[in-house]
Amino acid sequence: MSESSLPVLATKLFIPSPRPNAVSRRRLLERVWEGLRAGHRATLLSAPAGFGKTTLASQWIADARDGSPGAQVAWLSLDASDNDPSRFLTYLVAALHRADPSVAADAHALPLSSIEDTMAALINDVAAAQHPMILVLDDVHLIEDSTIREGLAFLIDHSPPNLHLAIMSRSDPLLPLAKLRARGELTELRAADLRFTPAEAAAFLNEVMHLELSPAHVAALEARTEGWIAGLQLAALSMRDRSDVGGFIQGFTGSHRFVIDYLAEEVLQRQPDHVRGFLFDTAILGRLSAPLCDAVTGRTDSGEMLAALERDNLFVVPLDDRREWYRYHHLFADVLTARVLADGPERVPDLHRRASGWFEQNRLPEDAVAHALAAGDFGRAARVIESTVPGVRKSRQDATLLGWLAVLPGDIIARRPVLGVYRAWSLLVSGEVDAVEPLLADAERALGATTDDGTPVHDSATGEELRILPVTIALYRAAVAQARGDVADTQTQARRALDLTGPDDHFGRGAAAGFLGLASWAVGDLGAAVDAFGEVASSLRRSGNLADMLGTTIVMADLLIQQGRLRDAQRACEDALRLAADQGEPVPQSTADLHVAVSELLRERSDLPAAREQLLVSQALGERASLPENRYRWFAAMSRIDEAEGRLEDAVDALGAAEQLYRPGFFPEVRPLAALKARIWIRQGRLGDAQGWADSQGLATTDAPTYLREFDNLTLARLSIAQYASDPRPGSLDAAVGLLDRLLSAADAGGRAGRVNEILVLQAMAHAAAGHTALALRPLARVLAQAEPEGYLRLFLDEGAPMAALLRTAAAEGIAPAYTRRLGQAFVQEDVPRASARPLADALSERELHVLRLLATELSGPEIARELYVSVNTLRTHTRHIFGKLEVTSRADAIRRAEGLGLV
Amino acid sequence: MKNEHVTPPGCGEFDTYEIRLQGQLDAGWTDWFDGFRLTEGNDGTTALTGRVVDQAALHGLLRRVGDLGATLISVNVLTRADR
Repeated sequence: MSESSLPVLATKLFIPSPRPNAVSRRRLLERVWEGLRAGHRATLLSAPAGFGKTTLASQWIADARDGSPGAQVAWLSLDASDNDPSRFLTYLVAALHRADPSVAADAHALPLSSIEDTMAALINDVAAAQHPMILVLDDVHLIEDSTIREGLAFLIDHSPPNLHLAIMSRSDPLLPLAKLRARGELTELRAADLRFTPAEAAAFLNEVMHLELSPAHVAALEARTEGWIAGLQLAALSMRDRSDVGGFIQGFTGSHRFVIDYLAEEVLQRQPDHVRGFLFDTAILGRLSAPLCDAVTGRTDSGEMLAALERDNLFVVPLDDRREWYRYHHLFADVLTARVLADGPERVPDLHRRASGWFEQNRLPEDAVAHALAAGDFGRAARVIESTVPGVRKSRQDATLLGWLAVLPGDIIARRPVLGVYRAWSLLVSGEVDAVEPLLADAERALGATTDDGTPVHDSATGEELRILPVTIALYRAAVAQARGDVADTQTQARRALDLTGPDDHFGRGAAAGFLGLASWAVGDLGAAVDAFGEVASSLRRSGNLADMLGTTIVMADLLIQQGRLRDAQRACEDALRLAADQGEPVPQSTADLHVAVSELLRERSDLPAAREQLLVSQALGERASLPENRYRWFAAMSRIDEAEGRLEDAVDALGAAEQLYRPGFFPEVRPLAALKARIWIRQGRLGDAQGWADSQGLATTDAPTYLREFDNLTLARLSIAQYASDPRPGSLDAAVGLLDRLLSAADAGGRAGRVNEILVLQAMAHAAAGHTALALRPLARVLAQAEPEGYLRLFLDEGAPMAALLRTAAAEGIAPAYTRRLGQAFVQEDVPRASARPLADALSERELHVLRLLATELSGPEIARELYVSVNTLRTHTRHIFGKLEVTSRADAIRRAEGLGLV
Repeated sequence: MKNEHVTPPGCGEFDTYEIRLQGQLDAGWTDWFDGFRLTEGNDGTTALTGRVVDQAALHGLLRRVGDLGATLISVNVLTRADR
C-alpha cells in the first residue's frame, strides 16, 4: 500500500526570528510584559494585515528567550485548511510537543477523537510541566470551524496558570475573550497601538531604510499611511535609489488612491523585468521554495531570486532557518494576485498545474490537490486524491479528503472506482447506510467496463487499493447488510468477499470472516461463530494487526462464555493480555476491555475482590486502551459485582451509566442492559417495575424462542418464578415452565451450554418454588455435572436461599458430593458481613479531600473533572487513591464511609 | 480563480450590493474583487458594486476589503432579488 498520509509541515510550527535591523517596538513589548507580570492569561494582537503583528510576536519571543533561556514557546501558523478539526489538533499537539516533549509525550495517543478530551489532556500535560509556556496562534481569523472554536474556547477557559496564549488575528476572533477582558486578564494590542508612531516611522525610514528624509517628509508619509507599517515599507521601497524623493512624496500624499494600490504600482514598476516576471508567476504560491519556483517559472535561478527578494525587503518571509521555504507577505501576495488576474488571467491555470505537478512529485499531496483544483484540472486532482486514500484513512484526516471529494464533479468520481468506494465508506461510517449501495454499484460497473480490446476504461491507478477493490466492495455490502440486521445477505456478501480474497490478503480474509462470524452469532449458531472468529484472529495475527486481534478476543470470550467454556475464555483473555504486555507502551487498544472480560470470569468464580481489582486495572489504563463500543462493558461488569455483593442500588446506577455508553449495532445484543436492570428489580422485589419492562418489550411466556430474545426470555421466566413465590396462584407457573422447556431445546440445539446451565437452574428453581423438590433435582443434577469442571459458583450463589436449600437436598441424595460441598461453603461465606468501620490507614491529601467532597455531590465524573480543571483520567487516578485509602470500591461506598468518618 | 458566487450586475437573481471604501482604487482590481465593478467617486471614495449569492459571499468580500487595509464607509443593498 502506498504511504501518502498528509505530513505535518514543520514550516507551520516555525518560530520566525526577528529581523536583525527592525524598528524596536519597546513600548509595545513593555505592555506585553506588564500583562504577563500581572498574570494575564492571554495577549490578543488584533489588526488588519501589515500592522506588524507577526514581527512584534517574534520580537517578544526572542525577548522571552533572552530573559529566560528555558522559556518554552509553541508557535502555530494557521491556514484555511486547518478548519479540519483532526488536522488542527494534529498541528496543535505537534506544536506543544515540540515546545516541551513532556506535553503529549505519547505521540501516538493524541489527538483523541474528541476535541475537548484532547484539550483536557494537553491542559493537564502543560499544567504538569509547571514552567511557563507561551502558545502563539497566528492568523486565527482563518479558523471558521465551530468545533475548533469550541475547543479553543475550552482551552481559554481552562488554561493552566503557567500557559500564556498569544492570539494574532486580522479580525477579532470569535472566542470568549470578553470574559478575560472583564476580569482584567487580557492584554490587547490593536491597530491604533500597533501602527508606527511618528518617531517609529522616522526610525524606520531613516535608520533602517537609510533614506535620510526630513522631519516634514517623514510626517507627511506618516500622515498619509496613518502609520500603517506595510504602507511605509512600500513607500520606502519606492523611494530607494530615487533621486527625486520630494517629488515622490508630493505625488503620493496628493493622491487619493489606495495606499496599497498606489505604492505597489510604484514598487513593481521599479523592479527589473525578470524580477517582476518572477513575482507575477509565483504570486499564486502559498509558499515558495527554489525548486518549486524553478518548476513553476521555468527558471533555474529561483534560489538566488528568493535570496535577493529577502535581502531587498521585498515582502518575502522566511518560513524556516535554512532559507528553504518562504512566503510572500499576505498583503503583497494579494496585490500580486490582483495584478496577475488583471493582466494575464489566462496564464493562471497553467501556473497552478505546474505547481500541482511539483507538489505531487515531492509527495505533498495537499498542495498538489489544492493547485490542481485551482487550475480547474479535476482529472489531475482526482488522481492525486486517490493516491492519498490509504494514508488518509489511517490518519483519520477524513474531513480534508471529504472536502475534496465534495468539489469533484460526479462523473470524475464515477471514473475512479477507488475514490467512489472511499466515498461509500465515508458514508457508511457516518451512518448514511442508504447512500452506500449506489456508489458501490457505480464502482463495480466502472471496474467491469472495458473497451473492445479489453482495456479497462476507468481511471483508477493500478495498485493494492484497486487490486483488492472487489473484496472491499463485497465487505462494505456485508457491512450494510449487517447494519440493517439482514443476516442472510450479510453471509452472502461476506462469503463472496472471502471467495474473492487471495490467500495472502489477511486483512480481507479477516474482515470477511468477521462478518460471517457476526451473522452466525446473530442466529445463535455459536459453533460457527467461534470458528469464524478464530479465523479472524489468525488472519489478524498474520497481518500483524495486534490491536484488532485483541478486540476479536473480547468477542471470542463472549461466545465461549455462552458456550459454557469458562476455562477456554479465561485462557483466550490471558493469552491476549500477554501479547498486549509484550507490546509494551503505548498500551494497545482493547487491553482495558480484556481486563473487563477477565473480571466477569472472576466474578462467576465468586472471587469478587479479584474481579473488582481487574476493573480498577482496566480503569487505570484509561479510555485510550478501550474501544468506544466496549466502554459500556465496564459498568455492566461493575453492576454484576455490586449485585453479587448485595448492593442493588449501586448495581442499578452502574447499569444507568452503561446505558449511556452503549452503542448499538456493533454486535448482536445478546445480554440487553434493560433485561439486566429488570433482573435487579426482581431481586429488589420491584416486580411491578419488572413487569413493566416485560410489557414494554412485548414479552410473553408463550413466545417461540429466538436467540436474540433468549436473555429477555430467561429474565421473563425469572420474573414469573418471583411472582409465583410472592403470590402462589395454582397453575400460574405452567407457562414459565413451558417456556423454559422450549428455551432448553433451542439452547441445546445451538450448542450454548452456558445458556443451558442457566435454563436448568431456572427449571430447578421453578419446580422448587412449586414444592416439587424431586422434579427440581433432575435439572439440578444435570447442571451440577456440566458446571463443575468449569468452576461455576455465582450461577448457583446468585439464586440465594432457595438454591442453598435445594443443594443441601441434592448433597443428601449423593448428587455431585464434592461440588455441592464447595457450594455449601460458598453460601456460608456469602453471609459474612463485608463492610466494617475501621479507622483510615492512610490520611487523605488536601486534593483528595476536595475530590471526595465533589464525589459526594450530584456531579458526574466529567463534570467533576471540569470543576477541577483535570482530565477524566486524572480524576480517575485521584478516585483510585481515595478508594484505596478508604478501602472501598465504589463511589457510593466512599461517600458512606467518608460520612462515617466525618470527612464530608 | 474566478469565484462564481459573485456575479457582475445584470446577470443573476441575486441581491446587488454597493460597498463604499475610503480612497481610490483602479479598475484593475475588479477580478480580485470577484467581478465587482469599481467606480471612483468624486469625494475620494470608491464604490464596489455587484451581486452576491448569499451572506457568506458578502462576508468573504468584506474580509478581502479588510485584508487590503481599506477603510469601510458603508455597505448598502441596492436591489433585492425576487424570491
